[in-house]
Amino acid sequence: MRWVTRRHCHVDRAACAWLIRRFLDPQAEFVFVDDPDEVPADAMPFDMRGVELSHHDGDCSFETFLRRYELADPVLWEIAKTVHEADLADERYDAPEAAGLDVLLRGLSMVRDDDELLALAAPLFDGLYEYANARCCSGASPPHDVPGEGRKR
Amino acid sequence: MLLAYRLPRDPSTPRSALWRKLRRLGAAQVLDGLAALPLDARTREQFEWLAEEIAEAGGEATIWVGELASAAHERELAARMAEAVAAEYRALIADAAAAARAEVPGRRRRTLGRLRRELRRIRARDYFPPAERERAQQAVAELAAFVEEPVG
Repeated sequence: MRWVTRRHCHVDRAACAWLIRRFLDPQAEFVFVDDPDEVPADAMPFDMRGVELSHHDGDCSFETFLRRYELADPVLWEIAKTVHEADLADERYDAPEAAGLDVLLRGLSMVRDDDELLALAAPLFDGLYEYANARCCSGASPPHDVPGEGRKR
Repeated sequence: MLLAYRLPRDPSTPRSALWRKLRRLGAAQVLDGLAALPLDARTREQFEWLAEEIAEAGGEATIWVGELASAAHERELAARMAEAVAAEYRALIADAAAAARAEVPGRRRRTLGRLRRELRRIRARDYFPPAERERAQQAVAELAAFVEEPVG
């Protein structure tokens, strides 16, 4: 399926694209536009004003995806907190790592185009997922030195 | 860039949420229902999400990109926004100085963490940096040096 969003992706769109490819549509193809009027008829828009898969009731688009597709995985909700704060910084959640994620992706977007940004961000979010997963399940900080952990795919 | 909006009086929750978000962004309230921010990619996106939220709460919002016809009024508006963050910086400087003087070492360290976060928040809405920005950074750096000094 084709998915469309605004050009010059930042954290929320990068996270949504990762979520789409990993959990919803492995064959997803992404298209970037400057204006909502340019959305192709056969593509599903996200993180754009006035569309279903976007910001709603103070949620960022990543949170909206989790709600609309009923992805109840608590690990994804952990990531959602980070993405929300990196995107909106409204202190709805306590996510101190958000500031770092925001800077990393902002920096990447200065040196890479949107396709490359999404490609580079994907393993970053894979890693965040494993990290949050380890923290969720054990209740402690993940170990720092487990070789091979997180390389399940 | 201007956000022109109208929100129903009731319920009051969306109104106060909007007010908090505008304040966090450092927007200048030009009139009731008219907020202004300097235009860049980030501020524009933030205004667009706010406009969306206002519409979802049963209100109306439009975003305008424009400029003041009078240069003097533009300077006045920028000065007003600079003064608002300058006041926040001054409060932070006072807090840092008080912590350096009075607090026990453990508390001083926690205060340092809080002030650093506060400084980051203010900097994010500091579009027309006043002289106080440099002084606030200095004050927090001094408190940090104080915290690192061996006790006794």
